[in-house]
Amino acid sequence: MRRLSWRRRLLLNALNILALCFLVLPLLPVVLGSLQSEKTIQQDVHALIPDQFTLANFRLILSGGKDKGLIFDQISYLPASIEQFPNAFLNSVIVASSVTLITLAISALSAYTIARMNLRWTRALLQTSIFSRMVPLIVLMVPLYVLFRGFGLLNSLGGIVLAEVGFLLPYAILILTPYFASLPVELEEAARLDGCSRFGALVRIVLPLTRPALASCGVIMFIISWHELLIPLILTNKPAFMTVPVVLAGLVSDFFVFYTLLMALCLIGLLPTVVLVLVLQKYIVAGLTAGAVKG
Amino acid sequence: MRAAAATGRKAFRRELPLGRLAVAMNAPTLLCLTLVLAYPIFYAGYLSFHKVSIRELRSGEYPFVGLENFQRLFADDLFWLSLGNTFAFVFATVTLEVLIGLAVALIINEKRVWLTRITRLLVLVPWAVPPIVNGLLWAFIFNTQFGYLNRVLFQLGLVDAQVNWLGSSNFALFAVVIAYVWRTTPFNILLYDAALQGIPRHLYEAAEIDGATGWQAFWHITLPLLRPVLAVTLVLRTTFAFMVFDEILAITNGGPGNDTWVAAWYTYKMSFQPPFNVGLGAASAYVLALVIGVIAIFYVRVLYRRVEH
Repeated sequence: MRRLSWRRRLLLNALNILALCFLVLPLLPVVLGSLQSEKTIQQDVHALIPDQFTLANFRLILSGGKDKGLIFDQISYLPASIEQFPNAFLNSVIVASSVTLITLAISALSAYTIARMNLRWTRALLQTSIFSRMVPLIVLMVPLYVLFRGFGLLNSLGGIVLAEVGFLLPYAILILTPYFASLPVELEEAARLDGCSRFGALVRIVLPLTRPALASCGVIMFIISWHELLIPLILTNKPAFMTVPVVLAGLVSDFFVFYTLLMALCLIGLLPTVVLVLVLQKYIVAGLTAGAVKG
Repeated sequence: MRAAAATGRKAFRRELPLGRLAVAMNAPTLLCLTLVLAYPIFYAGYLSFHKVSIRELRSGEYPFVGLENFQRLFADDLFWLSLGNTFAFVFATVTLEVLIGLAVALIINEKRVWLTRITRLLVLVPWAVPPIVNGLLWAFIFNTQFGYLNRVLFQLGLVDAQVNWLGSSNFALFAVVIAYVWRTTPFNILLYDAALQGIPRHLYEAAEIDGATGWQAFWHITLPLLRPVLAVTLVLRTTFAFMVFDEILAITNGGPGNDTWVAAWYTYKMSFQPPFNVGLGAASAYVLALVIGVIAIFYVRVLYRRVEH
């Protein structure tokens, strides 16, 4: 490859800096906002960097509203959702992990049959999956609310998990199917000649080989579930069953929660998935491209 | 030899026939899809022809009202406003997502510049931010008194009074567009980047020998080969933009006035907030799904057919 001329190199470096600004600059206000007190941010409304940093917002959140410190000492009222936040975080972890595991288990079985068994109706299942991704979630939420109300599934983590699994399954099938199809058939055939059943070959030979695809799919499912607002918002109204996005949505235009505290909550809410993306980027990229290109 | 054949036959007998095995393996999927996707879609249709509000939900009886929900929907100015805003939103976001996505993908495709490694590493970060958090963070940026946009503009000497960005009916929807595009563009960057890496280098080398400029190479080699992935991103981004909800909730809450009502917001407000008219909500959701379906079919017809030739 030829070396780049210095002019081109300069231009490309400048463009990269521009792209980097686009990608990360909007996150700076979250960090800066969360690290200052309400008083600091109100004192100087023109300053970019506060003259005083504090961890009081995080202390308040992580202690469930108990550790008020000097800053929040004066405040007599705090919304109950601040106290609920650690619990909401736990709910989010439970929901996202269960959704990931259940979706993976169910979709792997379907993806395998679609990729290998070549029946007419399994191919139709793949087309249904592509189509299902385009159904607006809000269309499902109205009837799901009425249905789940009837089943007594409102205000339960199980109800949220069930709804999310159903909604995410088609996408998981889209991500996994191309990978199953790309594995050599010979491996399974050899196993079957050795007396393995089809299902046995899937569990013992195919699934261990698909580990990277399962990791890709799993981490994407976890992230989407962690982000999901509409499903838990509509299916819950008791704080004990709310997830992080629902609690955050409840604080919109709540005049008792100042932006500094809100940004601290946001930072805690975005950290798990941002860290996952930075650590497992390779898998996520593979999964997202696999799930989209065939669509 | 005979023993091996016998065990082989035994294994074969133990196994379900292919068709039935496929059914068994797909049973959980089919159950979930029926319960959470298929049945609700039909049930939404059912609800849209019935009167369903708080009282009916309590009693469990939904009287049939024929087309009344749809008549009310089409007579509602707010619905048309929401639909118009949705179209404007979709057009703006999809255009920006494709253009910015393509630009960034081309920038990070030049691996001889060391800085691209950093950009590549961080390219998916906005995508990882939860939509509701994204909304709240941009609401903070655009905030009149304390927001960082006003702070930055003041430091640059561009404004001396604080601007009420979200209170302006012209700008509010665009503020949501900016926030939404920031979060969703990385998905496009990723797909374009993957497609760019699939274009063989020798095509560009041949073009260079023929004396083609960089722009000509882009126009005659890169763009035609990106067409399939452009089609995919157009379909996906359009359908998702039609469903925008979280950012509207966090940034404008539909305001100022009703200026940033969009279709999903309309359905949500009608169904789950007073007057809790679930029937009307179901009807509006159905219209939205229909619009998305028509546009998706249009895209697939027009773009995929061109790609095949």
